[in-house]
Amino acid sequence: MSSIIELKNVCKSFGDIEVLHNIDLSVQEGEVVVVIGPSGSGKSTLIRCINCLELISSGELIVDGIRIPAEKRKIRQIRLEVGMVFQQFNLFPHLTALDNVAFGPSKARKMSKSKATDIARDLLEKVGLAAFENKRPDQLSGGQQQRVAIARALAVSPKVLLFDEPTSALDPEMIGEVLDVMQNIAKDSGMTMVVVTHEMGFASQVGDRLIFMDEGLIVEEGKPGEVMKNPGSDRLKEFLGHVKHH
Amino acid sequence: MGFEFSVITESLPALLAGAKLTWIITILGIVGGMACGILAGLGRIAGTEALGEKPHGIYKPLTVLIRYISSGYVETIRGTPIIVQAMFLYFAFPMLVKAVFDIERFRIEALTAAVITIIFNAGAYIAEIVRGAVISVDKGLLEAGMSLGISRFQLIVHVIGPIAFRRMIPPLGNQFIISLKDTSLFIVIGVGELTRQGQEIMASNFRALEIWLTVAVMYLIMTTVLAMTLRHIERKMEIF
Repeated sequence: MSSIIELKNVCKSFGDIEVLHNIDLSVQEGEVVVVIGPSGSGKSTLIRCINCLELISSGELIVDGIRIPAEKRKIRQIRLEVGMVFQQFNLFPHLTALDNVAFGPSKARKMSKSKATDIARDLLEKVGLAAFENKRPDQLSGGQQQRVAIARALAVSPKVLLFDEPTSALDPEMIGEVLDVMQNIAKDSGMTMVVVTHEMGFASQVGDRLIFMDEGLIVEEGKPGEVMKNPGSDRLKEFLGHVKHH
Repeated sequence: MGFEFSVITESLPALLAGAKLTWIITILGIVGGMACGILAGLGRIAGTEALGEKPHGIYKPLTVLIRYISSGYVETIRGTPIIVQAMFLYFAFPMLVKAVFDIERFRIEALTAAVITIIFNAGAYIAEIVRGAVISVDKGLLEAGMSLGISRFQLIVHVIGPIAFRRMIPPLGNQFIISLKDTSLFIVIGVGELTRQGQEIMASNFRALEIWLTVAVMYLIMTTVLAMTLRHIERKMEIF
């Protein structure tokens, strides 16, 4: 197995505040890594660094063979291979569901309109929203919007998908439909995924590896079932106690 | 001296000719002002996160320069009266050119001066409208676009542009109407637009009531056409 994402001694600061301290992490192709941790632990910053929405302050990031900071000019190439799903969905409000999904193929991959639309239709069907292709985001529920957003990220056929708390802004009854879609992507396509979430059920069922972050450090990692059963640190024990009550 | 309807019918051809000129200056001003405004508006936020990622390397000082030039333009125009701008362009600028380049005969037609003035004047205000709309676009949408791997140009044209434009329509309507009415100030450089036509007729027959009433109604009709056009576009685009 070869690693598709590698972070070597990565630090990230915002002004004087360092939010990631000397992170070393490598993600294998096809692996599903679940990142958990309290708010402010740096987990969102970590995945935002992977597709360069935040530039690392020091250390080295290698994504699909592209080295950052040495090859800063190739950031767009990294993004073509690394899709992202956001907590707030961030669908383009002026476009229909279909056009949102077709946006990447036609603009980023420069495909013809008809080819991009075909891809978009297929993906909307995959996420169970074929009937909603002409709806605009404000006409869809939160769960539906997030499924469209997942389809949009998939449409440029990336090698990696990043999920930044994809269910945190959803009503409880809509969380399941989004997690189901994510699980299907992991199982069917063998997509490499890095998922920041508090959904422990998803972590144990779908995750190959669980990472617990606290105060900008990776405190623990391992097989999700084992880490959850036998947390090595008091900090993780306490955190798991909190999330289990939800 | 009662209200004489015949005064209106007699002066109508001249007033309509003036209205036509007002309309032409306004349309040219709106089209040119939009171009100026979009350039200067984007220029004022060049290199900031409102237009995607901050630039690196040599682009950084370039964007600083662009910001300074754009801001200088906007503040100069906003900070001086449009009458002074028109007078300067029509009377003073040719003298400046003559002095600096030692040219014997250099002059700008009154109409040309009027059109240039209204373009640059409207452009400065439209720049602020553009800037305001662009910085109001949710940053998450920019990140969504960037994370798909599109270029900055594509981000501006396909994401920021359409979303910002919808929000620009109400304040643009305001500015278009203001620009139309501002053309009446070109009376000072002798452009035969509607207000000047009215003034000239009035000076010969002293029928203030009939003439200024007709002139006012003509302005009202033109501003109404502008407002209704904007409303139509607004409805078609469904503002978010």
